[in-house]
Amino acid sequence: MSVLITIVAGAVAGGTSILYAALGETISERAGVINVGTEGTMLVGALAGFAAVVEVGNPWIAIPAGAAAGAALAAVFAFVVIYRKASQLATGLVVMFLALGITSLYGASYVSADVHGFTTWKIPVLGALPFFGRVFFEHDPLVYISYFVVPAVWWLLFRSRWGLLIRTAGERPEALRAYGVSPSLVRLVAVTLGGALAGIGGAQLSTALALSWSEGMTAGRGFVAVALVIFGGWRPLRVMGGAYLFGAAITIGSVLQVHGVQVNQFVLDAFPYVLTLVVLVALMRREGQQAPEALGQSL
Amino acid sequence: MTDSKKLFRRYRLPLGAAAAVVLAATAFGGASSSAAPKVAVTCSSPSGASGPGTGATTIGFIYVGSKTDFGYNEAAHAGAVALGKACPNIKILEADSIPETSDMTTAAEQMIGQGAKIIFSTSYGYKDYAVSLAKEHSDVAVLQQGNFITPPVPPNANTYFGNVYETVYLAGIAAGKATKTGKLGFVAAFPIPQTLLNINAFELGAQSVNPKVKTYTVFTGSWCDPGKQADAASSLLSEGADVLTQHQDCTGTVIKAAEAKGAFSVGYHYDAQSLAPKGWLTGSDWNWGPLYESMVSTILNGKFTGSVFNTNYSLGFSSKTIPSPMDLAPYGPSVKAGTKALIATAKKKILAGWSPFTGPIVDQSGKIEVAKGKAATAAQLAGMGYLVKGVVGSIPK
Amino acid sequence: MTGFAASVAPAVRSRLTVPAARHLAARTLFWGGMYLSALVIFGAFTALRGADPFAMYHAMWQSTVLNAYGRGQVLDKAAPFILCGLAVAIPARAGLVNIGGEGQIVIGVTAAGGVALALGTHVTGTPALILMGLGAMAAGALWAAIATVLRLVGNVNEAIATLLLNYVGADVLNYLVYGPWRDPAGNGQPAAKPLPEGDSLPKLGSYAHIGIVAALVAAVVVAFALKRTSWGFMLRCVGGNQTAARRAGLKVAWLMMSAMLVGGALAGLAGMIQFTGLEGQLRPGIAATFGYTGFLASWLARHQPGKVVLAAGLLAGIAVAGDSLQITSHLPGSTVNILMALILLAMLATRSRSKAAA
Repeated sequence: MSVLITIVAGAVAGGTSILYAALGETISERAGVINVGTEGTMLVGALAGFAAVVEVGNPWIAIPAGAAAGAALAAVFAFVVIYRKASQLATGLVVMFLALGITSLYGASYVSADVHGFTTWKIPVLGALPFFGRVFFEHDPLVYISYFVVPAVWWLLFRSRWGLLIRTAGERPEALRAYGVSPSLVRLVAVTLGGALAGIGGAQLSTALALSWSEGMTAGRGFVAVALVIFGGWRPLRVMGGAYLFGAAITIGSVLQVHGVQVNQFVLDAFPYVLTLVVLVALMRREGQQAPEALGQSL
Repeated sequence: MTDSKKLFRRYRLPLGAAAAVVLAATAFGGASSSAAPKVAVTCSSPSGASGPGTGATTIGFIYVGSKTDFGYNEAAHAGAVALGKACPNIKILEADSIPETSDMTTAAEQMIGQGAKIIFSTSYGYKDYAVSLAKEHSDVAVLQQGNFITPPVPPNANTYFGNVYETVYLAGIAAGKATKTGKLGFVAAFPIPQTLLNINAFELGAQSVNPKVKTYTVFTGSWCDPGKQADAASSLLSEGADVLTQHQDCTGTVIKAAEAKGAFSVGYHYDAQSLAPKGWLTGSDWNWGPLYESMVSTILNGKFTGSVFNTNYSLGFSSKTIPSPMDLAPYGPSVKAGTKALIATAKKKILAGWSPFTGPIVDQSGKIEVAKGKAATAAQLAGMGYLVKGVVGSIPK
Repeated sequence: MTGFAASVAPAVRSRLTVPAARHLAARTLFWGGMYLSALVIFGAFTALRGADPFAMYHAMWQSTVLNAYGRGQVLDKAAPFILCGLAVAIPARAGLVNIGGEGQIVIGVTAAGGVALALGTHVTGTPALILMGLGAMAAGALWAAIATVLRLVGNVNEAIATLLLNYVGADVLNYLVYGPWRDPAGNGQPAAKPLPEGDSLPKLGSYAHIGIVAALVAAVVVAFALKRTSWGFMLRCVGGNQTAARRAGLKVAWLMMSAMLVGGALAGLAGMIQFTGLEGQLRPGIAATFGYTGFLASWLARHQPGKVVLAAGLLAGIAVAGDSLQITSHLPGSTVNILMALILLAMLATRSRSKAAA
């Protein structure tokens, strides 16, 4: 039982940064734009959040700083793909390289910095629950905030007027034009908002989970986030499940090692990716793809 | 030119001596201070000197990671800076974030193209490329940090490293005395011999003062993925480990994770006490400068080929000529006087020539790897492929 | 726009008239301005870091173009980039996104190394090279086939499947070199036995190997196959409108599979070239990021084989110049990523507007 708690709690802790990024990517893709530069937006968010906390001394500054940096980079990406009609996949990859370069250059002086980042808050009452207390209510505040962001994104996409505009931009952009709304503008806003969330995800990684900054520290989490959006069928709650599943697959690796189970390290390393693929196959066979119709298309 | 150089040398000596005293004093909390050996530096070749690397006025350094990583690469970079300070007439070229592939050759060739006659190849995995480079350029001295060249070693190449395991063994003593649960945690990256050597040395040091202690090991499969490090640290802490250490390139995350849970930490690469004011025990701290200066001086004097350096050179505390490139970092507040005394005693044994890998050394399966009374050979240490009894964790076979 | 119309449009557009010529001049000026601004922005950037931009650009030029060793390095780098670019361009014709060059080249490296280990010194020289090449191509194709099967049978997006398989591919190589293939005489290092001396790829002049020739030949063959064969035509039909292609009686699934197989095989060949031309020993991390670079090259070139060669050459030049950036201008290694990104953003942002998908 205690092993199971460790794994699931680790899944939530490790999955949260990916969850933020994947929620951001969900909004972006619902508007019709694939942003594989999410790896880069997470990275600038991680550095900006970390640097802000080091300079200001208050962990909460990480949220606006990470969001602003992520949004700024996503806006550059959005401008090039929406208004210059460049390829979304190629531009995303370029944006990732840009972020790698910039953060390595400006992050160098923060590598050795000590940060007073977010600490674990055990929630009274809920934290005392058996199993669930340790799994869901003994984390840093950014984890708790993500519990609210998931329904908020769902509400935004499926219950608000803005959500209708966003989804139409991803399904039938020409219909928006007929209503006198610029699909370009809607996409720009959606991608930028998605970048802000990815930036917060990066900041969670650097100022809450790892409490350190180092070059390239997102280590592929942004790519995983993009994969999880498809995995989650462009629906926030299922994206959340995917992020935690991925987090669990990583944690299982270290838990097995700690218990002296003789499993090859590289098999453990490949496990999260293989698991994602297998689950993806199972889901898709049952339901088929339900991608937004105009996903990936220029206007 | 020569006058200014002489000036510099005269100016430098007292400074160096002062630094050595300060180092010795801080390293042992003032408890014991053995006179650290001093290195005489030559910054240009005397006339008539010949051999690989003589006449060098440009030296190249190649690093696998960022030279500001607060870890292994920054330590090597600090050594390069020390060398540059000691010899202002020498131009230092640096290239960082060069992967352990043929990219290393490309970077080195560009440096040689710019006149470099000495190349410091500072990452373990560069070894084969370094050896090929040495064979290609017989007039260039190629110095490989870490790893082992199967003899014969080319006349213009070597490997060099510190007896890191000596320091890690001493740090293991601090961990063995500090733990209450009898469980130590080790966050590693890949099962290369150098890492296995560190894990084993840590466990052996801890066992020497606490026979039942176990070291739980997690390999993250990455030299620097702080998210995975946090995960590994939290798994180890949940399992009851109350002292964490690591062999990773970036080191902040594991130390902060231990501190947050009230556990102890033993550092690696850099003195990171500031990250863990409460739980810091000690750590292993690099100081490459003197060894770099000493090797460069030998090369410039035309005496490299056939010298002690022109082999798989490793030095530790017992060296009488050059200070060990790795030493203990200052102790944290919780280390008791008794523990410090135990460490001082062990260090004296090592100074006198004793090896922490003196048999019997038994691996996880109970097989005797080093016979009773024998010390492991340099090749055995460099090619370590097992974990000792008392380590929990598995390595690929 | 259907695939057919898309392929005809440029031909119509390229017929020169006077206004078109004026337009072309204006466009050239505009493009030149964008590239220049990328260089100026980066120059300003580095000047702020205390480097001399003019000396920096001079050193970069010197190390890649004016210097024989540098030219050789650029050619050696360009070869796998071109092949990885083609590995993306061919599936793209059939409307498939292959982000898996990264994994396919690593599997190619692994297979070439595996064949070398199996052959030992029994078969050497050219026959050994041919066997390694075939093994690497088969393995690369197989790796691409996994993702294609998942797409065709499991309805899994091939972009995501190939992306995830990249990570798995790296683990396969790691597993083997840390485990069963580790050289027992290698002091425990994670590396397989070195390739026998005579089994390296022959040299082209004194600084480059013949990989670039193989890559250029591949580019010509691919260009021909895509443009002049019925296979190429059918791929374009599938990429243009799948439903229509199916109605017209084309075997859509098989065509998609064939495009991915050929793409994967080319990426695998890139791995064999990197292994026999430069590395000579299986180690973790060989050819990392080559697949992503090839992906960029293909998208920059809009999947035209000829332009893939140019784009790959440019990227190879930037990669090699990156070293001089550090050595001469004392900038950190990853700074070259900023330069590359700025130039590529300028290229992406200034191309003619069209309804390109994704």
